[in-house]
Amino acid sequence: MELGGLGWIFAVNLIVWTGLFVYLLRLGRRIAQLESTSGKPEENER
Amino acid sequence: MNASMKRALPYALWLGMALCIWGAFFYAPLAAAFIGQSSRILFFHVPLAWTAFIAFFTAAFWSAVYLWGGRKARHDRAAAAAVELGFLFGVLATITGSLWARIMWNAFWNWDPRQTSIVLVLLFYGAYLALRSAVADREARARFSAVYALIGVVVTPFFFFIVPRITESLHPEPVINADRHLDMEARMFQVLLGSFFTYTALFLWMHNLRSRLMALAERAHAD
Repeated sequence: MELGGLGWIFAVNLIVWTGLFVYLLRLGRRIAQLESTSGKPEENER
Repeated sequence: MNASMKRALPYALWLGMALCIWGAFFYAPLAAAFIGQSSRILFFHVPLAWTAFIAFFTAAFWSAVYLWGGRKARHDRAAAAAVELGFLFGVLATITGSLWARIMWNAFWNWDPRQTSIVLVLLFYGAYLALRSAVADREARARFSAVYALIGVVVTPFFFFIVPRITESLHPEPVINADRHLDMEARMFQVLLGSFFTYTALFLWMHNLRSRLMALAERAHAD
């Protein structure tokens, strides 16, 4: 496989990883937002 | 750790993973006994399997904390989240391993002892997930799940580490071989080690998010 082919696979991997990363980052922000409106879990548990 | 350092952690993880991906394709050399570029999948397949193992042990840890640490719901959630993620990473390890097997062994599946072992581990933890969905009472579910996950402390190392060393397999030798020597080129090992750390960090992040999401869902369900 030529370098060009490896470069493409590398780029695809990077895009997939970046997409996952952005998704997790946004999910974390959304979760933090919901936690601040509903209160921290430890306050409501034994 | 202050707030700005905590905010920077995900970006550090992005950079670490990007470096590992770059290293897998451009820094690490090809392994001699592998066909073509197929050894590059090593830097994805092995860390995925490793992270699955870490996840299952994390589940056992939180299960023990649940049983002997006051039966707190958040410990049960932490254990369940760890099993879910371990299952996910295990499935991904199986898929990447099968892709590699297609190249090296000319078939996606050979019932090789290594391949079979990971399937058995996934079946074991699949049963954990089925158990959780079958028990309606929250405390009973947590108790049964915790005991089950602790049994995994015996099952998981047996299939991950013992079976590959006592059976004849087509699978390449483990990173640390039977003579307890590291049998890998230095740059390959550097990328592999970096991948171990970044995948573990990714698991910890996803575990944190999943646990918190489960807490929110439980609260929403209770309201």
